[in-house]
Amino acid sequence: MDAAMSKPIIRLDAVSKTFQAPRGGGMVEALREISLDVRPGEFLSIIGPSGCGKSTLLSLVAGFLSPSAGEILFEGKPITGPAPERGVMFQDYALFPWRTVIGNIEFGPFARGVGRRARRDKAGELAELVGLKGFEDRYPHELSGGMRQRCALARLLANEPKVWLMDEPLAAVDLQTRIILQDELLRLWGDGVESADRPTVVFVTHGIDEAVLLADRVVVLARRPGRIKAVIDIDLPRPRAPLRSVPEVARIVDQLWSVIRDEAAMAIAEEGN
Amino acid sequence: MRRSAGLRHFLLSWLEPLSGVVALAVGWQIASMVAANPTLVPPLQTIWGALVDLAHGDLVNDIVASLFHLAGGFGTGAILGLLLALLCARFELVAAVIDPIAEFLRPISAIAWIPIAILLFGVGQGVPMFLIFYASLFPIFVNALDGIRRVDPTLVRAAEMLGASRRLVVTHIVLPAALPAVFAGARLSLGVGWVAMVAGELVGADTGLGYRIEYFQEFFSMEGVMATIVVIGIIGYLLDALLRLLQSSLLRWSPAHGGSR
Ligand SMILES: Nc1ncnc2c1ncn2[C@@H]1O[C@H](COP(=O)(O)OP(=O)(O)OP(=O)(O)O)[C@@H](O)[C@H]1O
Ligand SMILES: [Mg+2]
Repeated sequence: MDAAMSKPIIRLDAVSKTFQAPRGGGMVEALREISLDVRPGEFLSIIGPSGCGKSTLLSLVAGFLSPSAGEILFEGKPITGPAPERGVMFQDYALFPWRTVIGNIEFGPFARGVGRRARRDKAGELAELVGLKGFEDRYPHELSGGMRQRCALARLLANEPKVWLMDEPLAAVDLQTRIILQDELLRLWGDGVESADRPTVVFVTHGIDEAVLLADRVVVLARRPGRIKAVIDIDLPRPRAPLRSVPEVARIVDQLWSVIRDEAAMAIAEEGN
Repeated sequence: MRRSAGLRHFLLSWLEPLSGVVALAVGWQIASMVAANPTLVPPLQTIWGALVDLAHGDLVNDIVASLFHLAGGFGTGAILGLLLALLCARFELVAAVIDPIAEFLRPISAIAWIPIAILLFGVGQGVPMFLIFYASLFPIFVNALDGIRRVDPTLVRAAEMLGASRRLVVTHIVLPAALPAVFAGARLSLGVGWVAMVAGELVGADTGLGYRIEYFQEFFSMEGVMATIVVIGIIGYLLDALLRLLQSSLLRWSPAHGGSR
């Protein structure tokens, strides 16, 4: 591994986050002393039971929240707030309902002062790239769930961010759509074309098989408070899309499952009472 | 099949409200026949005659004067209400100062201010404009503030993440997101503003439809009063229809308002 590869693009150094619970409740310790280096160009998945702090972790890296303790560095500098270099795909799409598909996609370049002509052309290209050609003038409420997800992806791509922060982006679509979108996501990221300026992806998911299929490394979080339970390298060759039905994948999924089974069982037990 | 169903739906949508108007007219006509003093309840044909007279006389001037009062009062009230709402949403301190004042003034009818308005502005344009301003300020303020406070924080985050400045977030996220609430407030404001206008013109102005009512009253012309009231009702309805039209064209993106294609 050369020197550039070993230098992390994102570094979390003993990061903790505590929330003041609403309505005068006590403190909620969402994350405790998370230390993690994200390598440039890698596809990192985060899995863990509901409420273990996955979204909180992503919000911290996005700059929406600041840590209660510890430090988060992006390219060696502390993160002070949200910025276009760290694009986010939200779990509930978060498309602007009053903007059409094109209007949503071009918002990033528009906000950064790109001229009308240039940003329109770019948005049109991206709409085509994610398979929304012919739907450019639709409003979000006129789109299916899968199409909204594509639109959110194109909106993120329009700013050419170095990091893609994705919070369960495929959780709300049906199985077929999810498989198609997984393949497209890999293609857009640059699966199998090993290049220096490939974006870095932090991908939160509930699906163990999804994490294994997509990621170079899987971070397993434990809950209450959220801590790193394991970091597992996925040594499968790329491109990954053709591996969907290979037994090796199932074996790794099984192995991963055994790591998080206790955690999941405890989560269910806690929810029960 | 579909076509005739559509036609039936169209006819029904007009017949239903129309039947109410017809019932009202028939009731009025019967009352005018049995009333002891027919000048108090003039029959429809007399009112119609007065309407025709009005149309040949000063009606257009009266309408223009009233619309001018409305534009001045509603325009300033709506803009100030919206600005105050933005300020209150942005600065806790402003909200802490404005909120109690607004809560105190809001339940006071604009009409209660007539004596003070006459003292301040004298009889003329000022009184109806002030009353309309006062009446229309609060509905739009309250609704807009509520709308702004309910803006989905994730949308604000999304805009910030995409590189939007503070100002851009206000103009391109907060305002459009609050627009449905602003429109709801504007329609209420226009309604109460129209009511306040008639009251203000009745006693504090020498132009406008309200003034025309007072004019007819002095001549004890109930058919003139009735004819003017009919005009006020129709124009008030048309103004609201206009605002509704604007609303559905501006909120085409909202499944609740514009509807989908
Ligand atoms: N703004 C907040 N105020 C108070 N508590 C919060 C806040 N945000 C998150 N929490 C709490 O922090 C913990 C972690 O929440 P988070 O949303 O990060 O979990 P998650 O892993 O994303 O869950 P899920 O899988 O359900 O999306 C939860 O217990 C949650 O209730
Ligand atoms: Mg979450």
